[in-house]
Amino acid sequence: MNAQALKVVEVGWLDARETLTAVELSHACGLTAAELDELVEYGVLTPLPQRPSERVFSAECVVPLRTAGRLRHDFDLDLFAVAILLGYLNRIDELEREVKSLRAHLPGHPPHPHRGEGPEPWREPHG
Amino acid sequence: MKFKDYYATLGVPHDADTEQIKKAYRKLARQHHPDLSKSAGTEAARFKEIGEAYATLKDPEKRAAYDELGRRPAGQEFAPPPQWTREHAFDGQSFEDIDLADLLDALGRRHRGGAHANVPVHGRDYETAARIGLEDAHRGTTLSLDLQDETGGRRLDVTIPPGVSEGQKLRLRGKGGKGRNGGADGDIYLHITLAPHPVFRPDGHDLHFDLPLAPWEAALGAEVQVPTLDGPVVLTVPPGTRSGRKLRLRGRGLANGRGGRGDLYASVHIDVPAALTERERELFKELAGASRFDPRAVVAKESA
Repeated sequence: MNAQALKVVEVGWLDARETLTAVELSHACGLTAAELDELVEYGVLTPLPQRPSERVFSAECVVPLRTAGRLRHDFDLDLFAVAILLGYLNRIDELEREVKSLRAHLPGHPPHPHRGEGPEPWREPHG
Repeated sequence: MKFKDYYATLGVPHDADTEQIKKAYRKLARQHHPDLSKSAGTEAARFKEIGEAYATLKDPEKRAAYDELGRRPAGQEFAPPPQWTREHAFDGQSFEDIDLADLLDALGRRHRGGAHANVPVHGRDYETAARIGLEDAHRGTTLSLDLQDETGGRRLDVTIPPGVSEGQKLRLRGKGGKGRNGGADGDIYLHITLAPHPVFRPDGHDLHFDLPLAPWEAALGAEVQVPTLDGPVVLTVPPGTRSGRKLRLRGRGLANGRGGRGDLYASVHIDVPAALTERERELFKELAGASRFDPRAVVAKESA
């Protein structure tokens, strides 16, 4: 297929390779700049240290923040509850990544069990 | 326009205070939220109804306007008081075509911002998921996304660059719903998952696969042909390779989209023939008699 012939849609990577300003993040997550500041104060959102003059965030935080923002709206939560939620959402994300990584390390196709060949099965003496 | 009984939807009396309304809403939202409920399809509609009722009853102005409509059975056709048309100047729009929630929303906006306030409205964002194959993630691909919005369905072709990994989130800027009054167009948030591959298991941009070896290959070392995304290559298995050992093929994993590639790991496990020929049995017996190798020496020492 000739990809050049198609209308190319600009794809943004929502991971550490891209950054957003506070205004862009606010638009993406439906939270005001003041609310983002409050989340920074609560320690659940950390601006990148590169440019202290202007707050810049890693694009990694967009999806969890959007989820937290949506749950905030859906359950009419206050911002402190959002902060607690965000902490847990990030933790879940981290653990899910770890589980996926560990699964990749596990053997996918264990050796076939012996069928009537080889040694007798181990017999555990009853206690 | 069809009447909706918001008090009945939330199960609260007409004189309920804000706190009661909030409590009733949260309880129902917890029950019917699509993220928390098992039957997401039917619950989404119910959740929308609850949300709509709460959005009206928690806002004192909207609630007052709604109460002005009086009490009537849900679903009954009705027309709002004639003064609403005069007072709120609905641009000659017929009330019949308007949903009650939209009307109350418009009233709320007019009360707050004046009749001619054209506030920029950001277009709707969409969240959608796509499952792609490992090779497509590695080389890049083109996806056709089917999106449902107010105007019906539409199809969008998206070029996925090489380098996405499991769980990658992408944003297609400005490809969501149209913005109004100068507001920016919405975005599409695309969640990528990788389809299971018959051979390779991804971990970020690294790949793992199982490499079965015969006992003699593991003991003596061997050159074996192994699969990679770029076609088969010959891997040197060093003598004395134990089961569980991972042999790395540097730079043979997935493209990371930044000019580099992850690594490929061959996970060794030692297999034996399920049935032995007479000759094989003889040779194994001879080996068993001659070898002083005790694989349980450490276990025996530790449990002694």
